Amino acid sequence: MIPKYNILSTEQVQKVHEHSMKILEEIGVEMSCESALEIFKTHGLKVEGHRVYFQREFVEAQVKKAPAEFTLHARSPEHNLLCGGDSIILVPGYGAPFIHNVDGKRRNAAMADFNNFVKLAGASKNLHMTGGTIVEPGDVPHATRHLEMAYSAIKNSGKCFMGSASGRERAQDCIGIASIIFGGKEVIKAKPALISLINSVTPLKYDDRMLGALMAYAEAGQAVVIASMVMAGSTGPATMAGALALQNAEVLAGITLAQTINPGTPVVYGTTSVITDMQSGNLSIGNPECALFVTASAQLARYYGVPCRGGGTLTDSKIADAQAGYESMMVLMAAGLAGMNFVLHSAGILQYFLAMSYEKFIVDDEIAGMVLRYLRGIEFTEDDFAFDVIAKVGPGGHFLTQKHTRKNHIKELRLPQLSDRQSYDSWAKEHFDINKRAHQKWQEVLASYETPTLDSSVDKAVREYIDNRTAVLLS
Amino acid sequence: MSILDEIAQGVIEGEATKVADLTKKALDTGVPPLDIINNGLVLGMGKVGEMFKTGEMFLPEVIFSGDALYAGVGLVKPLLTDGSMPSKGTAVIGTIKGDLHDIGKNLVGMMLESSGFTVVNLGADVSPESFVQAAKDNNADIIGCSAMLTTTMILMPDVIKLLESEGLRNKVKVMIGGAPLSPEYAAKIGADSYAPDSTTAVEVANELV
Repeated sequence: MIPKYNILSTEQVQKVHEHSMKILEEIGVEMSCESALEIFKTHGLKVEGHRVYFQREFVEAQVKKAPAEFTLHARSPEHNLLCGGDSIILVPGYGAPFIHNVDGKRRNAAMADFNNFVKLAGASKNLHMTGGTIVEPGDVPHATRHLEMAYSAIKNSGKCFMGSASGRERAQDCIGIASIIFGGKEVIKAKPALISLINSVTPLKYDDRMLGALMAYAEAGQAVVIASMVMAGSTGPATMAGALALQNAEVLAGITLAQTINPGTPVVYGTTSVITDMQSGNLSIGNPECALFVTASAQLARYYGVPCRGGGTLTDSKIADAQAGYESMMVLMAAGLAGMNFVLHSAGILQYFLAMSYEKFIVDDEIAGMVLRYLRGIEFTEDDFAFDVIAKVGPGGHFLTQKHTRKNHIKELRLPQLSDRQSYDSWAKEHFDINKRAHQKWQEVLASYETPTLDSSVDKAVREYIDNRTAVLLS
Repeated sequence: MSILDEIAQGVIEGEATKVADLTKKALDTGVPPLDIINNGLVLGMGKVGEMFKTGEMFLPEVIFSGDALYAGVGLVKPLLTDGSMPSKGTAVIGTIKGDLHDIGKNLVGMMLESSGFTVVNLGADVSPESFVQAAKDNNADIIGCSAMLTTTMILMPDVIKLLESEGLRNKVKVMIGGAPLSPEYAAKIGADSYAPDSTTAVEVANELV
């Protein structure tokens, strides 16, 4: 791995920390959930109405209890993932209600799309997890969506997946399902299998739904990404330093709650901070400011000694075009260079998180492959210097016929999965741009995908759990 | 430059204090209140709207102009006889229950007010019952319902059902907006209109009344 890229000086990191502490102490954070407030009251924090004022010593002490790294356990153990340190976990897009088709037409996402994306992520060499709410399956009743999404993730791939963050009850369902697969709640408490995405409501609020899920997962020892999305200029200051301090305060408040409930809860410091487009008021996610937020946030997480989440193949474009490509590469590259450990939204996202696209998913898989190769860096063994081969070929020769070349090119020189490197004449035969090639490719990948076997008794037990809960939830 | 032009210019520049001072001066010198509103304040805000649309002005500046507009309107309004304050209609707006995201909705409120609507802003986490009650209380022409989350947008149909059961559906138009929504969703739940952003929301509201 190449060294992690830092853009803030030690003093600047310290300054962000100081401002965040001032925000937490003097302004406080509103939490709408009574049981969360009770926990803080019990620990002697000042609570007025729904607002919690955090003492810095308390925050600093709680944050220290969070582990620097942890392992997420997958149904197929070869897909177990280390989260933290030098590792990077790439995860598809999350939460989009729409699909943008190859022609740019928009439609509602459905369960069939969700299943397809699980398979595409399962097939990918570059994506490490299948994800959570990869798309919102609009054709499944809202009350049971989390159950069907969990089932699809388990059935269609052996990779790690994410638990629902939509309130305590849904979180408990996901914990129940994971317990069936891994052999009980105590097993997954020792070996976490789920990670979920808890978001603050910026500025300085957490809602019931997210707090309920956070508390359920913390109690069960499951991992949580605690993320803040400051929209610089609207939900936070337009100045990036202020936005960072605000984000940092919110994330620390969430981490503090998780550690207070269950010391040692695996948490990930999350940033989704973005900017506001001042011409429309929309958020904008594929830009240099976001790349800066990503890089600075990874440094902040390292300062607190916890794994970090941020970045992705982020774009504001509506279709898999050049804008989608250059914006996505910028932000994913920044995440990679910064040493981000968990990168949600690494495949498929269009239009600032609102849409998923099959074509974009395939394009992003290629971007992910390129970034991962870059991060691997340059190897420096004596054999890699190839002095003898250079001597043998001598001035004016070539290396194509050398054994050393044949042996090494595959590992050194990454072959693209999608990018076009043909001659003009070969390319001109079909005249396919990236959108068309990706359109063809995802269909091929889906057609040839082999679903990993799921033990039939486990399958039956999970299905029973889901069917019973569905009957309750829809009654 | 006439005093009315100066007022309009003050609105464009977003100078609330200046607009208030000029408005007082205009009133003191006998300019008719309605003239101040129509040919000063609203005229200026109209220009702001145009410049926002063409990208010459940005959102924060427009919000300052809105404040300046209201600094003037606040002074003139008490001098008008009831009913003579021009209003395009009354819109009751809010973010649906369970959802705390209300910045976008507040922008819509501000833009509607600036374009001449009377706006009743119910805030965030508003139940369908409260929407309908407020529509009754304020004799509203429009309910504007916002949601940021896919988990909360599903409550929007309840607002419409409730309006129907209260016999108000023919009187009150419903417009919806927010990131996960779409024109298709509006049609599906029987809302009258959808707007993707605050500028469009004004256009949509103008069509509805």
